[in-house]
Amino acid sequence: MADQNKSDAERSSFSEVLSPSELFAARSRSHKIPVRGQKDFLPDGSEEQRQRLEQSLSEHWSLVSEERVERLGNLVKATWIPGDQMVELQSPAGKFWQTMGFSDKGKQCLLPEEALYLMECGNLQVFYQDLPLSIQDGYERFLSSRTVSLRQYQVFGHLKRLGYVVHRFDASSEPSSYARQLNLPPSRDRAGKQLKRKRSGSPTATATASCSHSEAQEVSTAERMLEEEGEEDRKLPESHLTTSAETPEVQTSTATAAGPAGGAGGVGGRSWWAAAVLRAWDQGSSHNPTSASPCWDHRSIPFPDLGSRGVGDRLASPDPSLLPAGVAVGVCNVAPWRRKINLRQVKMSSKEQKGRRRWDVNKDKQVRRCRNWAEYQELQARRRGGRRKGRPAHLWNAAVAPLHDPRRPIPTKELLDKISVVKSTNLLEGASRLTGSDEWRLCFSVYQPDTVAEFKKSNPGKPYSRICVCSVRRLGCLQQSGLLILRTSDSLEPGSTKRGSVNRATGEKLDLDDSRPAGHGVVGYLGCGREVPDRHHSRLDPNGVAQ
Amino acid sequence: MEDDTSQSEVIGLGLCDSCPLLWRTRDLRTVRSRGLVGSLLGSLPRMPRQNGRLGRPLLLQPEEERLLTELHAAAALTTTDQARGRVEQYEAEQQTSYEQQKILALEDRKSALLRAMTSSQTVPDSGPRTPDEALRGRLEALDRSFTFPRSALAVQLSTVRAGLSHFPEDRALLRADWPIRAQDDPRRDVRYQVFRDLRGRGFYLTSAGKFGGDFLVYPGDPLRFHAHFIVICLSLEESIGVLDVLSVARLGSSVKKTVLLCSPAADGAVLYTSLQWSGMV
Repeated sequence: MADQNKSDAERSSFSEVLSPSELFAARSRSHKIPVRGQKDFLPDGSEEQRQRLEQSLSEHWSLVSEERVERLGNLVKATWIPGDQMVELQSPAGKFWQTMGFSDKGKQCLLPEEALYLMECGNLQVFYQDLPLSIQDGYERFLSSRTVSLRQYQVFGHLKRLGYVVHRFDASSEPSSYARQLNLPPSRDRAGKQLKRKRSGSPTATATASCSHSEAQEVSTAERMLEEEGEEDRKLPESHLTTSAETPEVQTSTATAAGPAGGAGGVGGRSWWAAAVLRAWDQGSSHNPTSASPCWDHRSIPFPDLGSRGVGDRLASPDPSLLPAGVAVGVCNVAPWRRKINLRQVKMSSKEQKGRRRWDVNKDKQVRRCRNWAEYQELQARRRGGRRKGRPAHLWNAAVAPLHDPRRPIPTKELLDKISVVKSTNLLEGASRLTGSDEWRLCFSVYQPDTVAEFKKSNPGKPYSRICVCSVRRLGCLQQSGLLILRTSDSLEPGSTKRGSVNRATGEKLDLDDSRPAGHGVVGYLGCGREVPDRHHSRLDPNGVAQ
Repeated sequence: MEDDTSQSEVIGLGLCDSCPLLWRTRDLRTVRSRGLVGSLLGSLPRMPRQNGRLGRPLLLQPEEERLLTELHAAAALTTTDQARGRVEQYEAEQQTSYEQQKILALEDRKSALLRAMTSSQTVPDSGPRTPDEALRGRLEALDRSFTFPRSALAVQLSTVRAGLSHFPEDRALLRADWPIRAQDDPRRDVRYQVFRDLRGRGFYLTSAGKFGGDFLVYPGDPLRFHAHFIVICLSLEESIGVLDVLSVARLGSSVKKTVLLCSPAADGAVLYTSLQWSGMV
């Protein structure tokens, strides 16, 4: 019996499994962390110092060795599915569902990093093969190159603990440069209302009103169709046909009409897509994070130019890969449409009339390069202006001419673009096409903690920041180890992060006080004109923050 | 005495994404007693939603990992297979835990009731019954009506994988070799030599990413002392720009630490150069 007691005692001192009495006693544990005292500068071998060190160490060990004890009723049960690399909830989700997780085939699911974070917070218990997973199991199973690496999880956890909402970066949800060029008004409410309409199934007065309004819009955009690329071009013949065929379901026409009206590309195009999907499956808020909706490069999709004279009267059916499922478009007869355009006689100057028979202005390569009317006018002005006097011959008539005439007014941005040898790209737009090293891949989108109350997972809006996690070995000539979190704003040039002129000051401000435990994993944030997230720390109550 | 025994223990490393993590508290203590600090990564169980103090696991620096390898003081923890009958064992444990906690809860309620009743002795008599009888009656009522629902059961969310927290002699759980982190850093040998030298002199070293250096050097345990030096490791042939020297020296002066440029010499000794900012005229 004595031996049993001894081995039990030994066992308990080494074992990290708590007995039922300890579990019960854990209810009355304190939830406060003792404040650390002042540090000393030099070790002087005094007894006092040694005692304080002992005290600090024992406090440290007691905090670190403490185990998580929770009431079973407070825990959400879940299972780990290694095949899909996600965690499926078995009991209803708690408050964290507002900002984390997704629905898959009717079941509530969590991404592995979200599940691991919730496990660490003590809100979730994940089972695998009917046995609960420990935190160690969670780290070893959930974090891998397939899901989220350990470094990335560190960043994720750090930001979540501060209260931010962190999602995986979805390159396809970024508006393309074309969508930004159109400068559409935010279609957030639009999309919501449209989706609601579809679900209710009955056409309302406003729906038909928007239908007619958007039709009017279509007609007006058609007038400007000449050199404009856009989905409107392709959709117009289709919708025109459907409405003229006089058998539209109101839903169909609203859907197709709402498409162009709501906006082409990125955001609006998605709502049109989503409406079609809803019609087909009548299911709401299904969000699969792993499948990306196609992000089209509009410059590579050929659109028929119905305004030019060379195009025939029949349009071949568009590539089915560009169309949503369930929509089949046959050959389009655009003859009636084309009869309605190019009706006005274009008054040509005598010079143009002279060369008209022989030379079609559209055959001019430079004219073809003009994307809109304004550029064409610029081209004309350039051609005319070249003959003006006042330009030094040695500059302008030589083989190498200046890129820009200083006498012509031009906005600074365009001038910089003109004279730049390396074109600046938008990191976000090119993000989906970045096939290079994993290091510079954007992996998270971060939203402000204040928005948690009205945060909608299906439509989160524009993130506060995007995060790229990399382990930087050298910055300039100095070596750095550890993590560097780069937060990108919209127009970050990829080259700038590697230059030595990085603002290290922000890194200093964050973790300068030595009282933090040494060797803190997360180093700091290098912002691009943004605030350091820790400033929000004072506004957040660590216990009251929404998950 | 305790240090000796703990020093002879082999540290178990859990590999996550090819990074060595320490999970068991006694491993953390052993590593600390060897003078290696590492960095804590996880949430602190007591207060998970803050970044001031973190909890397990502990991540080792590459130099620390390499040092432990050379001393043969660490080994990788194997993943235990799910033995048959584990599920039944788990459920049986949960059941016994439930029953014991129910008893404890009832006792707890009874003692609370006792305290409440006896402290209110001065309250006027509630009837013909004596206080003792009333107390007994209340206790009996409690016995009958007491419920301990399953949802009130306190459950442990263990940090360390089950089965690994037993006796230290359980060598079967340890594997001698593990895939060391691939390091494509050309400076890693330089860093390691400097690390080993400074550790040999009794300093505690942590990573100094936030200061733009390689290591932070503490004269004693980092819990109690401020860092004295920021170490930047360079090989002897390497040249650095003056602007970088200036920036790092300025940084050092503003955080009141001395910047050390360290280079291992051919004979194994390490040369240290300290920078002192004297101000500009």
